[in-house]
Amino acid sequence: MSLRSKALGGLIVAGCASLYGCAGQRSETALQQAGAEFQTVKEDSNVLRIAPKDVIRAGESLARADRLSSYWGSGSDVVHYAYLSQRYSEIAREHTNQVLNEERAAKLELERQRLQLALRESKLASVQQQGKWLEEQILALTTAQTDRGLVMTLGDMLFDTGEAELKSSANRVVLKIVQFLQLNPKRVVRIEGYTDSTGGKQENLKLSKARAQSVADVLMDLGIDDKRIQVEGYGDEYPVDANATERGRAQNRRVEIVFSDEQGQLGAAR
Amino acid sequence: MAVLALAGCASDPAPNEQMRLTEQALEQARAVGATVDDVPEMKLAEDKFKRAQGNMNDQSFKNARMRSEQAELDARLAEAKVLTLKSEEQLTLLNTRITRLRKQVGDAQ
Repeated sequence: MSLRSKALGGLIVAGCASLYGCAGQRSETALQQAGAEFQTVKEDSNVLRIAPKDVIRAGESLARADRLSSYWGSGSDVVHYAYLSQRYSEIAREHTNQVLNEERAAKLELERQRLQLALRESKLASVQQQGKWLEEQILALTTAQTDRGLVMTLGDMLFDTGEAELKSSANRVVLKIVQFLQLNPKRVVRIEGYTDSTGGKQENLKLSKARAQSVADVLMDLGIDDKRIQVEGYGDEYPVDANATERGRAQNRRVEIVFSDEQGQLGAAR
Repeated sequence: MAVLALAGCASDPAPNEQMRLTEQALEQARAVGATVDDVPEMKLAEDKFKRAQGNMNDQSFKNARMRSEQAELDARLAEAKVLTLKSEEQLTLLNTRITRLRKQVGDAQ
């Protein structure tokens, strides 16, 4: 067949309109290429599964090109249908690759979701661990007083003499308290201010209350709901040491934070 | 021979339906982002379609049909290539995310 078309092509070259370009060699090459391409797609089970219509069209165009190649003067038609066949094969292949990628992506998406879940769980576990660690730290700073619950004492050095403003050196412990309260949303606190016996009763009462309030203010500023915070000022009442010595007075100047239990039960105020 | 060929040309009907199909295929390829600069098949399709339009004006209907048919498949291949490329990019993205997640999960444990 090909020999014949080649021979004929040679004979009629002069008579052919250039439009039809009866290049036997060219159409033969095109036919072979399209045939080879068609062979690869029709033997690929994925392509057959995903793009059967394009494979069929590639086959039909190829058959047409093949049929035409037996007629002389049909070189350009052969090339044309071979071209279409090749394109259909290529489209089938591309379409298959696309769908295979999408199928792979669907599997990867499941894997991604599984990993996301695993990560969320492990993060949660680490937050819980952190919470436990923080709780231990807070507990280390408090002393259990059976009648009042957990009590943390903020010492005199966190305030300037006669001033209610909390110094920045208190930041660390305040942040810990905030974190602790955020991790234990049911717990509430009572903040109690105390002074030594130096100065007038009323003044001391006022200062003790103002100091307790300034601690409460910082907690609120850092996001703790004010409903969870009670504030009391006791002046020079309830000293923890004798007011006779400088050391004793320093011990008595303090702010105490009384924590409720985990259910939010706070011991009665003094 | 030449007479026969001319006769063949003259007897071909105007491929209006094919021209419409090709235009549609070109539009669809453009819609998914196939451009003449990025996808060589798109340039082939646009050029052939332009020439097919010229053939229609000259009433050279057989040439118009053949060029239009080729242009349609060129455009469809361009579209398919762009979609395949996009699906590959999607895979790469997913793989990157999964690698990052694996590392984070590994670090967290």
